Amino acid sequence: MDVKAFLSKSMFLGACLLSTGITLGILGFMLVLAYPLFARGLFWEMLIQPWSPGQGLFGVGPMITGTLCIASLAVVISIPISLGVACFVGIVHPGGKGRILKSVVEAMTSVPTVIYGFVGVFLLVPLVRTLFSGGSGMCILSAGMMLGLLISPTMILFFVQSFTLVPQNHLDAADALGANTVQKFFYIVLPWAWKSMVTGLILSFGRAMGDTLIALMISGNAAAFPESVLDPARTLTAHIALIIAADFDSIEFKTLFVCGISLYAMTGFGVVLARGLGQRGRA
Amino acid sequence: MEPKIKITGLDFYYNGRPVLENICMEVVENTITAVTGPSGQGKSTLLMTLNRLWESIEGARVKGDIQIRFGQKFQNIYDPGFRVSELRKKVGMVFQMPNPLPMSIYKNIVFPLKLTGDHKQKDAAFRVETALKRSFLWEEVKDRLNEDARSLSGGQQQRLCIARALILNPEVLLLDEPTSSLDDTSGRMIEALLLEVKKTCTLLLVSHYLDQVKRIADKGMHLSRGQITQEW
Repeated sequence: MDVKAFLSKSMFLGACLLSTGITLGILGFMLVLAYPLFARGLFWEMLIQPWSPGQGLFGVGPMITGTLCIASLAVVISIPISLGVACFVGIVHPGGKGRILKSVVEAMTSVPTVIYGFVGVFLLVPLVRTLFSGGSGMCILSAGMMLGLLISPTMILFFVQSFTLVPQNHLDAADALGANTVQKFFYIVLPWAWKSMVTGLILSFGRAMGDTLIALMISGNAAAFPESVLDPARTLTAHIALIIAADFDSIEFKTLFVCGISLYAMTGFGVVLARGLGQRGRA
Repeated sequence: MEPKIKITGLDFYYNGRPVLENICMEVVENTITAVTGPSGQGKSTLLMTLNRLWESIEGARVKGDIQIRFGQKFQNIYDPGFRVSELRKKVGMVFQMPNPLPMSIYKNIVFPLKLTGDHKQKDAAFRVETALKRSFLWEEVKDRLNEDARSLSGGQQQRLCIARALILNPEVLLLDEPTSSLDDTSGRMIEALLLEVKKTCTLLLVSHYLDQVKRIADKGMHLSRGQITQEW
């Protein structure tokens, strides 16, 4: 092996080891800081308990519920938007109009989250308040809609990328047999691309779970188990942002590590699931 | 011998560059008309103008008149009222490389019927069998219809693609170098198959092989720089 090849290989290996080390290091760091909670048997209780400091209850159950509700709603809202745009860009008009639209979508990925938050606060929240005539309008529905919009560009680009994996000769065969666009999508594109699309969905779900600012600005931040989509809720990330200023030795502060480990576990599970599907897709 | 296809003053442009210029030709019904010529001279493009498959190519434009006789009446295939999906059911196409879909042999053949909504008809299985028999494939696959079509050999895959095109009983079949990716034996089998198919269908064949053209074509034409330079 020549020197250049050896150096390149070592550099890539080093980068892999470093990124893996940092990822595992963060998990280790959180586990170490959360150790007192594990030692006192509080960790598992905190996962399901309500948040009521007045009663000595510091559970993050409402935050886990809020996170899952808002992220799930965001994905549900985003799927039809993303699928429609991706079909237009990737199948109906791959050139011309589709290319322009794809550029717009790509530009949307670079819009700072806080802009989405502002739009949510000044446009969406009053609209939800007016339409459903109750509360402040800061609720799971508002946050879910805005997060749905936020994750759509990622999902669209993932879907479009999935469509490009469909071999051109399959599309040619369908075209030559007289398939229309809808038939081509359902009979050729979807059976070929669905595994990759599901991977995109899972990763977008992770993106929705991990977002802090939109949830913080428009979900209402009530640390209680929500009962409907019009109820305010607090996400794990928003909880971390709100509690970070608490005294380091307080039990409130320790809940940050429960939140961090929960988020880590949920996103990790999503990534493993996505990888598993990807592997099955290649098999 | 009645004409099936009449092409008059056909021009084809790609990004403003002419690919076909003033093509005028007639194709007689139930014959094999071969188009020969060097690579990149517009042979495949000529086929694509006959089923409008070029329309998905960005920057492509066509000018001129193509009339195909369906029944007793000639129809301009670029007439806005003539649906492209209908055209492609009547004008089938087989490509240079076999392109079986990633599904079973049976599902591949029945796929065109699925597109027309006829795949659940009682005679669907019979039509599959007939198409496979017409393409000389039935005996080889009748016991493995549920196997993945991609497990077939190259020659078998190409015959499968012909069977798939034949199940809708097209009136015209366009063949873009259908034997060029196959060995000699498979190529000869396809030739024999085309001679059978021409009894019920009009064939337009693009081929590089002059000996093949001499063996099976009723008429031939040479295409060079987008123009027909020779006919025989």
